[in-house]
Amino acid sequence: MLSLFVIIPLIAAALACLIPRTERVAKYLALSGSIVSLLLAYLLLSNPPGTQSLQWFNVAGLSVTITTATAQANLLLLMLVAIVTPLVFTYSMGYMELPSEQRRFYFEMCVFAASMMLFAISASFITLFIAWEILGITSYLLIGFWHYKERAPTAARKAITTILIGDIFMLMGIVIIGVTHAGFDYSLLLSNPITSSTQLALVFILIAAFTKSAQFPFHEWLSDAMEGPTPVSSFLHSSTMVKAGVFLVMVLLPVYSAAGLLPLILVIGIISAILGASNALTERHFKKILAYSTIEDLGLMFIALGLNAVFAAMILFFVQTFYKAALFMSAGSIIRANNEEEDIYKLCCSRNSKPILATALIGALSIAGIFPLSGFLGKSFVESSAMSSNIVVYAVLVLVGLATSIYAFRWLFIPTRNVFDKKLTGKLGYGSVPKTMVIPGVVLAALVVVATFIYYADPSYIGGAAQMQLLGATEIAITNIVAIAGIAVAFYIYKLGHRMHLASTNSMAFAALHNSTIVNGAYLIFAAGIAKIGALAGNLDFAFDRSIYVMSQLFIKSGYYMRRMVDGQTNSYALAFVLGFALMLLLIAFNLIT
Amino acid sequence: MIPLIGISLVSLVLGMILIAFSRENAKLIGVVFSGIAMLAIISALAMSLLSGTATFTEQYYAYITTPNIVLSLGFNAITFTLALMAVIVAFVTQLSGNTEREGYATSSALILLFELAAIGLFASTNLFVFFIFWDVGVVALFFMLYLLGSANRRRAAMKFLMYEILASLLLLFAIMLIYFYTPLRSFDIGYITANAFLIPHSTEILIFTLLFIAFLINMPVFPVHLWLPDAHTEASTQGSMLLSGILTKFGGYGMILAFTMLPVSGSFAVFTLLLGAFSAFYLAFVLFTQTDIKRIVAYTTIIEMSIVLIGIASLSPLGIAGATFAMLAHGFTISLLFLAAGSTGHIFGERDIRLLHGVVRNAHSTAYSFLTGVFATTGMPLTAAFIGDLLIFVSAYRSFSTAGIIPLAALIIMGAYLYYVINKSLLSTKESTKSIDYIGATQKIGYAVLLFCIFLFGIAPFIILKLFNL
Repeated sequence: MLSLFVIIPLIAAALACLIPRTERVAKYLALSGSIVSLLLAYLLLSNPPGTQSLQWFNVAGLSVTITTATAQANLLLLMLVAIVTPLVFTYSMGYMELPSEQRRFYFEMCVFAASMMLFAISASFITLFIAWEILGITSYLLIGFWHYKERAPTAARKAITTILIGDIFMLMGIVIIGVTHAGFDYSLLLSNPITSSTQLALVFILIAAFTKSAQFPFHEWLSDAMEGPTPVSSFLHSSTMVKAGVFLVMVLLPVYSAAGLLPLILVIGIISAILGASNALTERHFKKILAYSTIEDLGLMFIALGLNAVFAAMILFFVQTFYKAALFMSAGSIIRANNEEEDIYKLCCSRNSKPILATALIGALSIAGIFPLSGFLGKSFVESSAMSSNIVVYAVLVLVGLATSIYAFRWLFIPTRNVFDKKLTGKLGYGSVPKTMVIPGVVLAALVVVATFIYYADPSYIGGAAQMQLLGATEIAITNIVAIAGIAVAFYIYKLGHRMHLASTNSMAFAALHNSTIVNGAYLIFAAGIAKIGALAGNLDFAFDRSIYVMSQLFIKSGYYMRRMVDGQTNSYALAFVLGFALMLLLIAFNLIT
Repeated sequence: MIPLIGISLVSLVLGMILIAFSRENAKLIGVVFSGIAMLAIISALAMSLLSGTATFTEQYYAYITTPNIVLSLGFNAITFTLALMAVIVAFVTQLSGNTEREGYATSSALILLFELAAIGLFASTNLFVFFIFWDVGVVALFFMLYLLGSANRRRAAMKFLMYEILASLLLLFAIMLIYFYTPLRSFDIGYITANAFLIPHSTEILIFTLLFIAFLINMPVFPVHLWLPDAHTEASTQGSMLLSGILTKFGGYGMILAFTMLPVSGSFAVFTLLLGAFSAFYLAFVLFTQTDIKRIVAYTTIIEMSIVLIGIASLSPLGIAGATFAMLAHGFTISLLFLAAGSTGHIFGERDIRLLHGVVRNAHSTAYSFLTGVFATTGMPLTAAFIGDLLIFVSAYRSFSTAGIIPLAALIIMGAYLYYVINKSLLSTKESTKSIDYIGATQKIGYAVLLFCIFLFGIAPFIILKLFNL
């Protein structure tokens, strides 16, 4: 079967949503499209690993093909996207209520999902770029979906501007690779020796990957992306979009390793992980905490890649999908029940909301790294790969792990200590959360649990049997002890102590932890600098225009004076003639003398 | 063989004559006859694609025999692409441009005249005829600006005319030089291309310089771009669509001719790259100070044409194909943007982005068309612009190495500002501007046609690119 067929149901659903008056059926169209895509993806699993190419166009010796691959990694990502998509669509059925926004929402979501699936199976830079940029643009549309909200347009613009930087760098890299390797397929890059121009291209592509995967210094768009609807966040943070950058670097890792760029990946990963964890510790916005946690997760994946531990990165990549989607879905449900309140200190939890709370708890335990839940697998593998190669990185990872379990349980404990007060929030409550919003979260929470057992039953589905590793008891123990210590700290501070913050809000420590304001300030200064240059150039252009105008005025003026000489007076003509004749005689005389 | 180019030209003339007799039906006549011209060109393209030849059979009409000036018409891959774009854009302009001032008859007739000039220019295989159509096009647009623009139109029209007349003079001078220095004294482009090496070197440099400046003014690229923003500010929507959509392509096509005709062009390649790169960056920054939505779109034209210039300067078949494709894409994209910008002005009576808010609330289709136009301008895959950019920069990297791809970064600056514009005026519906008018179905059809073309040539670029392989 042609692997491109996988995206066709979703594309068809998207196009069907464009038909007027399909408000009521849009969600069913999208859901059925995603389910058919899931079935096709499942059928694709039986395809032998290999690549398929279709010629797109061919001009003046440049042949551009749409190449897709069904290697193990491709199929893994494809399955992740295909599994999460119907769950997110189900969640959206409850979440998106207004009929007027149904068509637009499901159109954009279907294109978003389809482009991520195309990305998952891409095996050439052209295929990649198509998926890559359409992912960026649909994410822009989805983040700014409620463009009438106060901050949504700004958040969307921040995302698209950052992503545009990456896209252009990506295109530059693709052009260089396409020329130096005489083709756009990954296989050509992977099988040929590295030259200095390839190295430049790889740096460009790395920049693109960092913008997409929200790594330092391009990470702040992701936390603002919370302005979009929750299903979008749940989708964007788990399987689509932000995973694209990591996945690309993962696929190209042999080349990065050969080009000596792994230290760069490692350093950026460490910085991002630290920034993500520290901001998550101090953020008040319920969903933004999870967003910073995504930045940290992606940073951990880049750390693993920087250590050349593909398997560890891959497994974190795999398990992060489920727990992050589950966390976002439960967060969306809690926010819905609290009348769209998003401040963590004002949220209330109810004991009636057991499925939602259970989902949140499983997600939090998983992200903290408690044993049977799959989050710990990813975390332990990354830590064990660091332990054997770089002790400093290992120390950082343990510290970040501690912070993770503190903020995960801060996220959970602060809302749960307020019991739901009916008088306070009025009409809404946990009863108003529809079943379609609860069930996908529960399914994902179940997947979080199951993933570990699947791994222990048959680890070969990640990265093949050759790369298979098993964890030692010490590694498991260390991860769990750190996680439990973090939970204990969180319990002491936020549950028993009822403290508001880890550090007081005006202290240096708080400023250092909550550094997103500094980063955003730096962005603003950068943008202001560009605008300054723009103003300068604008003035220059204006002056240029004016100077041409002044020159034209000079011509008109000189014409005016010339005209005055021709005044029709015989006397003045005679005077001019005499003067001219005298001048001529003088010249002749001068010539004769010399 | 049916003389399809002849049919298209004759139908346009017929349309103009009919409009003179029946001014009240001007718009209908304009749409019908430019539709006929469009169908003729599309069927010419279809016929040559089916028969597998890139060149359409040439048709000869005796014009002036003594100095060997022949009205010979024919298409090759480059001109086919551009003519196709021109007829579609002109058709959409006829159909959907809202005339800000009364004057359906004038504008319909002038669009037909300009379309005639465009088809004639792209189809002529004779430099003298090329020049005649060039000036017809300039004059048609001058009147379009002078008669149908907004308040300060006269001044902008004069500025436009001054720049264009300078370009025409330089062009005429260069054509004369070419005529007198080729052995057989011919205006035929094919003959000149084959025998250009016989022109003395210093003369060739002079000719190239003259042509280069003339086409640079028309494209326009820094430092001779100043007429374009002013012309667009004052032009009607229809005038803007023709101006940026088609007239700038005269210069682009001329530049391709200059570079392919004269072998000396190779020594100017690096200079041209530097000029194009500087122009792209400089104007991307100048864009930041603009607040009139039409002026903003006008500046993006200059940036795109600078990138086209880089493709031409890379002097390879791929670069030429890329530049041609980018011009095709740009024609559709910029017409869409100008149609949307013009409609915004029409609906809200305001074009300043500082005063416009929430366009998306009161003008759905306009806002989404503008948004898609911005995506296409920044080179989104599956829109035609991406193919153009890809081909141009692959070719530029082959010719100039890393320096060739740096100008891509100008797109970041341009895109960043365009997204700012979208936030500022299209979104933020909290205090949305009141609409004072609405757009009719014709505008929406116009959006649909242009969007269809943008995506058609983005998804199936091989329709056009096949021509370059034949």
